[in-house]
Amino acid sequence: MSSILKEIEWCPGCGNFGIFKAFRNAVKRLGKDGIEKGRIVVVAGIGCHGKLPDYIDQPSFHTIHGRVLPMLTGIKLANPDLLPVGFSGDGDALNEGMEHFIHAAKRNTDVALFLHNNEVFGLTTGQFTATTPKGRRTRTTPFGNPEDPVNPCLLALISGATFVARGYAGNIKQLEELMYRAILHRGFSFLEILQPCVSFNNTWDLLRENVHEVSPAESFDDALRLVMDRFATGVLFKTEKETFEEILHKNRV
Amino acid sequence: MDINICITGAAGDGVKEAGELCAKLFSELGYYAFVYQEYQSRIRGGHNASIVRVSDKPVHSHRKYYDLLVCLEDYVYRIHEPYVRGDIIYDTKFSCEKGGIGIPMTEIVKEANEPMIFRNAASLGAIAAYYSIDFGVLEDVFVRTFGEKAKDDVVISKAAYDHFLEHHQAKMSVERVGERREVVAGSKAIAEGLIAAGLEYYYAYPMTPASPILHYIIKKRRDIIAYQPESEIAAVNMAIGSAFAGKRSATGTSGGGFALMSESIGMAGMAEVPLLIIEAQRVGPSTGMATYHAQDDLNFVLYPSHGEFPLVVASPYTIEDAYKLSAELMNLAWKYQTPAILLTDKHLVESLQTAELHGAEIEETEIVRSSDGVMKRYELTESGVSRYAVPPAIAKFNSNEHTEYGITTDSAEVRKAMHDKRVRKEKLILEDVRGKGYVEYFKGKEAVVTWGSTFGALYEVVEELGYRLIVIRYLRPLVLPELEKAKVVECNRTGQLAGLLESRGVRVERVLKWDGRPFTPEELREVLG
Ligand SMILES: Cc1ncc(C[n+]2csc(CCOP(=O)(O)OP(=O)(O)O)c2C)c(N)n1
Ligand code: SF4
Repeated sequence: MSSILKEIEWCPGCGNFGIFKAFRNAVKRLGKDGIEKGRIVVVAGIGCHGKLPDYIDQPSFHTIHGRVLPMLTGIKLANPDLLPVGFSGDGDALNEGMEHFIHAAKRNTDVALFLHNNEVFGLTTGQFTATTPKGRRTRTTPFGNPEDPVNPCLLALISGATFVARGYAGNIKQLEELMYRAILHRGFSFLEILQPCVSFNNTWDLLRENVHEVSPAESFDDALRLVMDRFATGVLFKTEKETFEEILHKNRV
Repeated sequence: MDINICITGAAGDGVKEAGELCAKLFSELGYYAFVYQEYQSRIRGGHNASIVRVSDKPVHSHRKYYDLLVCLEDYVYRIHEPYVRGDIIYDTKFSCEKGGIGIPMTEIVKEANEPMIFRNAASLGAIAAYYSIDFGVLEDVFVRTFGEKAKDDVVISKAAYDHFLEHHQAKMSVERVGERREVVAGSKAIAEGLIAAGLEYYYAYPMTPASPILHYIIKKRRDIIAYQPESEIAAVNMAIGSAFAGKRSATGTSGGGFALMSESIGMAGMAEVPLLIIEAQRVGPSTGMATYHAQDDLNFVLYPSHGEFPLVVASPYTIEDAYKLSAELMNLAWKYQTPAILLTDKHLVESLQTAELHGAEIEETEIVRSSDGVMKRYELTESGVSRYAVPPAIAKFNSNEHTEYGITTDSAEVRKAMHDKRVRKEKLILEDVRGKGYVEYFKGKEAVVTWGSTFGALYEVVEELGYRLIVIRYLRPLVLPELEKAKVVECNRTGQLAGLLESRGVRVERVLKWDGRPFTPEELREVLG
């Protein structure tokens, strides 16, 4: 908890608590590796997830809805020594921010994006998002969501992300490990976090029963199959590729 | 001497380059030049025109009527013929109804086995001969512009030059009047001004007429990262990200792209990030006329985003001023940690002029780069300006209302104090720009007021018509000249600057043009005389 803030404003039981705890542990671990806190720069979008910067003592930018990734890109380009980490919601990254998501992955921008996927708009009180399952009733789909959901890991994979992982807000130990590895990964790291929203999409039971750990895919084709299992957690795919920032800085004379 | 040459043809005929080279030809001999580029939003066909004005005195505009028309296509000839007050040089691939000086440009180019775009070199040979300019001068221009690759241009233009002198009389003899002058595009002046003020990152999504700025920076400066991201929204947020990480950055666009940036401009205001945006106006609303000139975004740019926050909006009135002003705005954005907008227009960005770029420099500001624990990024200060801090300093930026530490809040007390703090900066900015808010010329009985590139044509006629001329540079904060009434000249339908002055108690008379073409001195003489 931050030294300058005493109260956390998430609903008791919200998945965000686990995510927050895992991140703090990951930062501590990076600190033990000699990475100073000031280098891990946090950008968050708008939504319940977006309150996270208030709770940490790190450089941060609580930006506007959907724009986490272009800001992370601008930061990394301006100072490649920093480790930019983005926190975004399914609404933030995949509704308003969809164009940036695909492009950041395509460029292999060397940043990490942590997606709080609670399959719903939390802060605006329960409307459907790009990841809400088909048929689900929400405040704006009272007769059932007519759209098929986006699979964030599949989208990241086919867009060119070089690190694709999935975690679960209820498994803090694993989440910490995934965050740690995502931050250190050179290239675009995408981590989907299955997050219950106790107020509008309480999936604790569903997740507890179904999530399971898998080992990383051996090939891209393998990864395509792996990401289709919505409850598979762990690093799903990992590869190495020159990053966007490396190429642009190399071209600089 | 004062001549006005129009080179015209289809898109793809190299008319734009011909205009630029023509200006260089005369500026090589020490003349002043101004080039107006008119073209359609298409890649082949249509009609393009470069109007090159040359004078022994400084010029900031083209004229409506031509002393010489150089014509590469017959259908284009018909469009421009009404404006000819002198001779016509044409390619004998068509026969010119009115007669004129036929040069077999197509044949010359075919003989040299070059693509048809080389007719623009042939047309330059003919122009040089028409004004009896020594061929060596033209050759120098080609070599300086194209280096090694100039050979083909030189061969073709020489053939046209010789053909002209064998069959026709030169019109007049243009002598050297001084040292060579530089010909500068408005886009280059803006880019160089930004660079002089420390630009390191430029993000922009292509949109006419702002694109040449992006092209220029990418091509000329390999030490700057200039990049085309997925959209204007990405561009502006990348610029904000880079500024947050401590680097001077900017973005540029036209009206439609600026509309997309709107929310982020407000964020820069709230989070107090230095953000510089170049807004190059073209005809609106919506996609409007992509390649034509207007000054109709003023009202929008003055209030581009929701909420209240300090914002600087200024408009350069000449290409030389564009260089100075873009640097001024970059420095102001950093000094006051708030968005600044250079509001320019197609006529300024895409025109060329003999110009000397000077008066732009970087004004360093203090940046905190380390801290023990979370710092008061938004410390409440008397001036409203807090210390700027970048990571690894632990500074928290926030697009929500926030405390001095950058923590989100909806406390009434804090909100009021923070909002006051931000708005307090407006007073400082006003003091800072007071001496540069507007420029005045001539002592006349009545005042004519204008802004942006409209200055060029106006400047030429106000003195002879007995007016005093005022050009507004800073539109927000507006530094109001002492005025009771004025004629306000601008390129829009409603009189947006006029409205702004009216709201400040000035009695105005509107002199407007909104057909996509800038004013010419002739037109202004008629409406103001
Ligand atoms: C441009 C814009 N549109 C809409 C909103 C309103 N808004 C605030 S939070 C939010 C949804 C956030 O959902 P998500 O990203 O899934 O985050 P969660 O609250 O679930 O963590 C919306 C639409 C806004 N702030 N800005
Ligand atoms: S609304 Fe949902 S996501 Fe937001 S804090 Fe409450 S439980 Fe968490």
